[in-house]
Amino acid sequence: MSESVRQVLRQVMGIAYIESRWLVRQPLWLVQGLVSSIGFTMLMFFWGGVEALKNMILAWLIAGAWSNGLNIVAQSIGWSRLFYDYERLVASPVTLAIYFIGVVAGNLPFFFLVDVLPAFIISLLVKMTLQTILALLALSPLALTLGALTSLYIILRLKNPTNISAITNPLNTITVTLPPVYYPLTPLPQILRIIALVVPTVSFMEISRWTTNYPYTCFDPILPTIMLAVWLLIITPLTLKKLKWGLE
Amino acid sequence: MTSIWAYSLGRRYGKKWGLKDVSFEVSEGELAVLAGPNGAGKTTTVRILATILKPSKGEARVLGYDVVKEFKEIRKRIAYMPQGYRGSTNLTPYEAVKWNLVARGWSFRKASAQAEKWLKLLGLWEDRNKTGWALSGGQRVRVAVAATLACNADVIFLDEPTVGLDVDVKHAVWRAIREIVSGGASVLLTTHDMYEAEILADQVIFLFNGKTIVAEEPQKLVELLPYRYKVAVKGKELLKNIDVEDKIDLGDRAIVYAKSEREAIRLIEEIGFYRESLSISRVGLEDVFYFFTKRRGGINV
Repeated sequence: MSESVRQVLRQVMGIAYIESRWLVRQPLWLVQGLVSSIGFTMLMFFWGGVEALKNMILAWLIAGAWSNGLNIVAQSIGWSRLFYDYERLVASPVTLAIYFIGVVAGNLPFFFLVDVLPAFIISLLVKMTLQTILALLALSPLALTLGALTSLYIILRLKNPTNISAITNPLNTITVTLPPVYYPLTPLPQILRIIALVVPTVSFMEISRWTTNYPYTCFDPILPTIMLAVWLLIITPLTLKKLKWGLE
Repeated sequence: MTSIWAYSLGRRYGKKWGLKDVSFEVSEGELAVLAGPNGAGKTTTVRILATILKPSKGEARVLGYDVVKEFKEIRKRIAYMPQGYRGSTNLTPYEAVKWNLVARGWSFRKASAQAEKWLKLLGLWEDRNKTGWALSGGQRVRVAVAATLACNADVIFLDEPTVGLDVDVKHAVWRAIREIVSGGASVLLTTHDMYEAEILADQVIFLFNGKTIVAEEPQKLVELLPYRYKVAVKGKELLKNIDVEDKIDLGDRAIVYAKSEREAIRLIEEIGFYRESLSISRVGLEDVFYFFTKRRGGINV
């Protein structure tokens, strides 16, 4: 391995380590996440049975990744800008790509412990295959990135210092709790089903349901994929325009 | 060799010019202080040189590299402590210094040794494993300074690194900064504290209203003043009967300027307020700051 590659890896590790410390220093966030996972499992199982649990696994792996990007990664970057860590890193050999990968990597342990690990355990109970889990995990980085870009699009436009979580948490509720993520699209009228696909988490979930042959799937993946592609094409340049790495 | 070179730098925020015309040079191994009142353009200047902001006009080079066209080369060689930066509360001092170095590409072994060196130098070694939550404000500033100075950068930008610190902590920070300058690095530091500038600086650059007024060694700047002494007095009504060219009104007190020691003593004797005089001292950079900013035109630069 060349020295320059080693140096890049060290830079990513450095950022990731710094970004991951909140989890170690404030472990009650982890406890809250795990208790919430257990509670959700009971809620879903007792009201919806095995099918509800299977949908919940999809939601944890896909919408969980989205939430990780939208809420946690974007918050890390937003707070870092407010407290000048961001500027300090701009004036250093760290590049925007290294910084972003480092922030994502630093926050991944939370996603793995609160979403992926419980999803894996419950998948064994409901007899979901490992291939299915891996297929969903392959989709999750896209959900995480799109979630982060969406949140950053708003956060980076804030002129005055503010409590960033007061913005990202409602965003998370609007995109994960309200729309058909933890419940299927099937009970909705056709027009609402199509409108709901505008929300990226719903499109991600429909693609996941289709991929895993989930019985309550409304669309084949073409329309949700188009919706996501449009979302990605709109939000990426808009956010990157604001996510400047110096020379502003 | 010149480390920092700025020529006619300007920066516009919308229609308003925050920085109008700033020019100066900083040599290798020199500590330059950017001084001036709030809104003078100190932070904007530093942010342009640290490649955070693009200048709207003028040119600037750091270590010979253009701040816009060759910013990548500059970023490899500089370290920057922004104004108000206090580090993360989730990190211990040891983690903050070590992992910031790793994030810059340092090996773990070198980063650990460097963290130990700088934490000891700034008196933080005993508290190296306390989290940021458990540290005092002054300790957190020292951690931020240590993390910046430990980078072994050729040029270091420190934007108000000692604001709000008590005397002991300030001295520790000053010692560390002078240590890095003695090692050959160039430092550009902003401050409101003229005593700090007088003690630390090899060169003081006064900014006012977005423009450079003067850039000179501290002592030469003091020599530009027409006065050599100042007398702080109680009961400024006593001054009504005498002809005092320059005085600063402080409510029930005043500062009176004198051109020589003899004149200062004569002033005190004439007015007869021995008991009302608080102190007599030589003029310093604080007075230069006053005359340059509040009384511009009083000194012929």
